[in-house]
Amino acid sequence: MTELVFYIFAFLVLLSALLAVTVSGLVRSIFLFFATLFSAAGLYVFALADFIAITQVIVYVGGVLVLMLFAFMLSDKDVLNTLQKMQQKVFGMQHIAALLVAVAFLVVLVTVITKTDAEIPGWMQVSPEKFVQPEDNTANLIGVQVMTRYLLPFELVSVFLMMALVGAAHIARKEPRS
Amino acid sequence: MNFYLAYILVAVLLFSFTAVFALMAVYAERKISAFIQDRLGPMETGKYGSLQTFADILKLFQKEFIIPTVADKALFLIAPVIIFLAVYMGFVALPWAPGVSPASLNLGIFYLFAILSVETVGILMAGWGSNNKYALLGAMRSVAQIVSYEIPAGFALISALMISQSLDLQEITLRQGILTDSEVIKFLGIVQVQDIGGILAWNIFQAPHLLVAYIIYFIASLAECNRAPFDIPEAESELVAGFHTEYSSLRFAFIFLAEYSMMFLVGIIGVILFLGGWNTPLPNIGALKLAAWTTGVAWGLFWIMLKTLLIVGAQMWIRWTLPRLRVDQLMSLCWKILTPLAFICMVISGVWKLAVM
Repeated sequence: MTELVFYIFAFLVLLSALLAVTVSGLVRSIFLFFATLFSAAGLYVFALADFIAITQVIVYVGGVLVLMLFAFMLSDKDVLNTLQKMQQKVFGMQHIAALLVAVAFLVVLVTVITKTDAEIPGWMQVSPEKFVQPEDNTANLIGVQVMTRYLLPFELVSVFLMMALVGAAHIARKEPRS
Repeated sequence: MNFYLAYILVAVLLFSFTAVFALMAVYAERKISAFIQDRLGPMETGKYGSLQTFADILKLFQKEFIIPTVADKALFLIAPVIIFLAVYMGFVALPWAPGVSPASLNLGIFYLFAILSVETVGILMAGWGSNNKYALLGAMRSVAQIVSYEIPAGFALISALMISQSLDLQEITLRQGILTDSEVIKFLGIVQVQDIGGILAWNIFQAPHLLVAYIIYFIASLAECNRAPFDIPEAESELVAGFHTEYSSLRFAFIFLAEYSMMFLVGIIGVILFLGGWNTPLPNIGALKLAAWTTGVAWGLFWIMLKTLLIVGAQMWIRWTLPRLRVDQLMSLCWKILTPLAFICMVISGVWKLAVM
């Protein structure tokens, strides 16, 4: 039964991702992207990363996706129309960058898959009791790790976010009248 | 197999609860609005109009479902389902009584917050799919409002979570009453009340600044369910009906159901985090063990229902009392008053936890 649920999620991720790139109409593909992200969150739960799954829903669905839709709705209609016309040919000039990225990512994926021993991964033999169990409270584990081992990156991220906020406030404020 | 049957049974139970609650709440809202405006409200159907909402829902069932010709059909059809599912999925993580919660999650409150943000996508989908100016404007206003008000609501919730030190809703409730597991609960940080319980052990009385946090959360929660005074997304005098202008029949009923379920859900989240959840308000006074007598599964269900329904009543009362806020007033209230206050509450929570508790 659990396996069935896993395969349903995996199928949904693939299907919605494929449709998101092939469907006509940008808004529809954004909504299909929503389905992809949501099903991917379901897959994270199977990897015992429930915290990451929920964070994915909050950050991507509640934040990024809504921002994408807003950006779309506030964009110029003509620009969007020309963009959509350009997408006709698969091997056009404008697709070279995308093709490069896609091929590079495919290479990475294939190397990872060929190098993994799916039956008994190496790290599992080291010490199985050191890894996350299904009944563990992942929020606690992550909190402890962030506050001890990864304190410097955590603080760096907060400084980075602070910079983004200051920048946003600077852009949004009214120009002083000269 | 019985295992899966129990899942289905719980799901059906929760769904019928939301449906019955929505029917009752619509009736209550009509009567409360009538009382506030010095009218009688529905009086014809049934005794005191009590069958009015059943008649309404029958009418909605019979109506034709109209899809506008220029609408994006797929999005238009899916949107109400997503809006309702987002709210309905939230119900699964709630603690209804001691030991009774359909799904007890380690990350309960975090999950609820995530699921509620899915609703915004549904609203945008409805607004865009309708292909109607009013619907699109309503959807954009609604989403802008929900996204902004999530910030003060989130920080108010975090300041309560810092006191409770858990994300598990059942655990948070346990730590506000006499069933607590060997922990020390202090009323206002002074008197130990883990054996007295009652209203004294609620989060808002364990740390008094949470009272401010609760008020912030309550205001923000009104905005999150698009209710007056934050109802510019469906401002009748400007936008017809906002994002659900084009919906009719059963799908309109689903949007309505989602709205009322959302009221209940945000109310119950506030009750669990700040007002003691299913804990009794009556304290143990010497030999008079009121708290011990009024704690149990049935009592727990009774108290959490009573508290939440009172909060929902307050939401309705506010809707029919206050005028609508303009969009700039709305945003300055959110960013200039509620967000800084919520941040201050969070800082006080940290200091309180370290220094007082």
